[in-house]
Amino acid sequence: MLKDKTHYMEILVKGIWKENPVAYQVLGICSALAVTVKMSTAIVMAVALTVVTAFSGMIISSLRKQIPSNIRIIVELAVIASLVIVTDEVLKAFFYDTSKQLSIFVGLIITNCIVLGRAEAFALANDPIDSFVDGIANGIGYGLILVFVAFLRELLGSGKIFGLAVIPQFIFEAGYQNMGLMVLAPGAFFIIGLLVWLKNSLPGISHEKK
Amino acid sequence: MSEPIPEKRPDKNARINVIKFALLVSFVCSLLITAAAGGLKGFQQENIELDKKINLLKAANLIDPDNKPSKNQIKALYDTHIQAVIVDSQGTVLEAGNPDSLQLYFFKTKDVIQGYILPITSRGLWGKIQGYLAFENDGQTVSGFSVYSHSETPGLGGEIESAWFQKNFKGKKILNSQNQFVSVGIAKGKAADLPKSEQANHVDGISGATLTGKYLSQGIKSTLAQYEAVSITFRQKGLSPKEKN
Repeated sequence: MLKDKTHYMEILVKGIWKENPVAYQVLGICSALAVTVKMSTAIVMAVALTVVTAFSGMIISSLRKQIPSNIRIIVELAVIASLVIVTDEVLKAFFYDTSKQLSIFVGLIITNCIVLGRAEAFALANDPIDSFVDGIANGIGYGLILVFVAFLRELLGSGKIFGLAVIPQFIFEAGYQNMGLMVLAPGAFFIIGLLVWLKNSLPGISHEKK
Repeated sequence: MSEPIPEKRPDKNARINVIKFALLVSFVCSLLITAAAGGLKGFQQENIELDKKINLLKAANLIDPDNKPSKNQIKALYDTHIQAVIVDSQGTVLEAGNPDSLQLYFFKTKDVIQGYILPITSRGLWGKIQGYLAFENDGQTVSGFSVYSHSETPGLGGEIESAWFQKNFKGKKILNSQNQFVSVGIAKGKAADLPKSEQANHVDGISGATLTGKYLSQGIKSTLAQYEAVSITFRQKGLSPKEKN
């Protein structure tokens, strides 16, 4: 059942870098704007999404031969929604503070295009283990972008990293100010836009040349 | 001679099988969710109770919002400093379990009442806002405010749970300069932009959350009006309602 390592490495590289869900497939932008004001929420969100994408991919893939094609999307959504609710309940039970900060965004994983996108595009055509790895890869790919965006936004917007002030007071006294734009959603738009541009202009990766 | 019957695979797209599959999936999913919700309820309930206590202590300025104490420290602080009592609309302390009564918390150090804390329930823009408002024992000076549950938009109305907003309540008065009850409200914009006579009764508003501020101001006012008798007792004597009787 298990294939050799390079096969899984390929899926991982594809999800994390080559076909990064945010920078290449441009999926999951809504939540990338919402949860990237702070590093801590971005990380929890990334982990939650990775878990949901991986397990939903695995479950849907193992059911793929039984799922009637005309109710395919509904079944996929039912699986994803159940997993999200379970994740939310677990967060509420063991990470109450973070779950309060993430508030509605955990529930909104259901509507995150990455999860349904991977179920449709990958899990329905591949075996469960591949789909699980693909889910992990896409979750990490999404998470890396999230953490990077959150890093810039928290640093420039509030002068903090993980809630700890990193910009010394004397710089503020010299006239430096936090960038209010970074705390608001448009700040994330600019950063994500620049990232997409950066990713696609790097040599050898541009999808236009394919 | 009869031909061998070809083995027939059930057609997954036949209507009856679609319905069967849909029912099965719904059943399994609901089972999973029920198990998770039921199984974790105890932990969640404990978190909610603890969170309420944290916010009660935060309102009473017993814990620093940036420095989270451990579970046991919170329980110890709560047990030594907070006393939950029930009063009627006249401010008389009642036995537990009495209907139409008001919940109230005394904040004590060594059995001396330092102040009192009211539970606040207010309408918000999207849902209920629940929190605590603490007063000094002069019955008119706010000593702290905290929120433990709300469904406002994160980043806008959701700022009501942030420290910068809550600490503005400290030192505000619910009486105006003529000693009349006016409650404490949330200004539209900065409190410093209001006429001088109103500044002591308002806190800075949250930009982008005018409606949340408006509803919360109304909620605080109506709650305070219900508890006015309690506050009057404190104002007159600087004593708890219990000691008055």
